[in-house]
Amino acid sequence: MIRAWHIALLLGVVGLLTLFYKGLWGDPRAIPTVLVGTPAPTFSGPEVNTGEIISLNHFSGKVVVMNFWASWCFECQQEHENLLAINRRFGSDPNFVMLGINYQDREEDARNYLKVYGNNFNHVRDLKGTISIDFGVYGVPETFVLDQQGIIRYKQVGPIIGPVYTHLTEKLIQPLLQGPPPQAL
Amino acid sequence: MKRILIIALLSLLTTSSVSIADTVEEQILDIKTREIAKTLRCAVCQTESVWESNAELARQMRQVIRERLAQGQSAEEIRDYFLSRYGDYILLEPRKSGMNWLLWVGPFVLLGIGGVLLYRTLGRWVAQTALIKPEETLPIDALHRQRIEQELRSLEK
Repeated sequence: MIRAWHIALLLGVVGLLTLFYKGLWGDPRAIPTVLVGTPAPTFSGPEVNTGEIISLNHFSGKVVVMNFWASWCFECQQEHENLLAINRRFGSDPNFVMLGINYQDREEDARNYLKVYGNNFNHVRDLKGTISIDFGVYGVPETFVLDQQGIIRYKQVGPIIGPVYTHLTEKLIQPLLQGPPPQAL
Repeated sequence: MKRILIIALLSLLTTSSVSIADTVEEQILDIKTREIAKTLRCAVCQTESVWESNAELARQMRQVIRERLAQGQSAEEIRDYFLSRYGDYILLEPRKSGMNWLLWVGPFVLLGIGGVLLYRTLGRWVAQTALIKPEETLPIDALHRQRIEQELRSLEK
C-alpha cells in the first residue's frame, strides 16, 4: 500500500534530482546579479588617455553603457569592435554615453590596447578596484546599462557578441533612448 | 639646561607613545580586516576566502574592508556592503534567513528521514525473522537429507 510518506519521499527525491539536473547546465562560476533595478553607484576616476577626471555624475539624465575591460582579457578583444559599433550608432544622440572602465590593468598596456584595437569613447581607470567592487564586478568583460534615471537596467557577464549585441542595441539601448525623459528632481 | 633635557625627554616619550598607539591601531585594523575577510568568499577563486586568496580582486576587497574599518564602519555594515554588491554568494556561510534555512536544516531533515526509514525497515525485518518458529520451517525432504548425510560422511573420511 502506498502511504502518504512514500509519495512525499518520492516528491522530495524528484525535487532534488531536478535541482541537480538544472545545476548541471548552469555556469558554476556565474554569480546572480543583485544590482539590476538599483541606482548605479557614483564614481570618478582619471581617463586612460588624457588623465582628465571623469565622474558618473557628469552624465546624469543620460543612458550610460559601462563596459569593464582589461588589455589582458581575450574576450574583451572579441567584443571590442562591437563596442565601437554601439558608440558609432548611438554616440551622436545627446542622451547617450558610452564609458569604458579599465580593470586591473597597467596604464601603458591599456593605452596600447586602445591604440591597437581602436577607440571612440572615454575610459576611466579603476585605480584601486573600488569602482569594480561597487558594481559587483568579478571578471571582465562585464557591461552595465544605466537608464536616464541612473538605475542599472541590465548587466551582461561576458562579451557583447552575436545575439547579446542585438539584444543590447535593439531591446535595451534603443528603447531606453526613445523612452520617457528623466523625471525632474 | 635641566629644563631643556626634561622637555626633550617628554617630547621623545610623546613621540614614541604616539607611534606605539599608531602601531597598535594598525594591528587592530589588520585583525578586524582578517576577521571580516575570512567570512567573505573570493569571487574569482570560489574555494578560498577573501583573506586566503592571492587574487587581485581579493586583495582589493581586503583594502576596501580596511578603509571602511578605518572610517569607523562595523563588521556587519561592511559585510552588508559586500552583500549589496555581490549578493548571498559572497558570504562563505549562508545567512540564516528565507530559503537559506533549507540549506541549514535540509541535511538534518534528510538525515532524520533516512534514520526513521532505516529504523522502520530494520524493525520490520527483525519482526519478520522473529515470527518464524522452527516448527514452521519446511521439513527437509528425503533427497536433501540423503545429500547432507553423504556430504558429512565425506568430511569424516
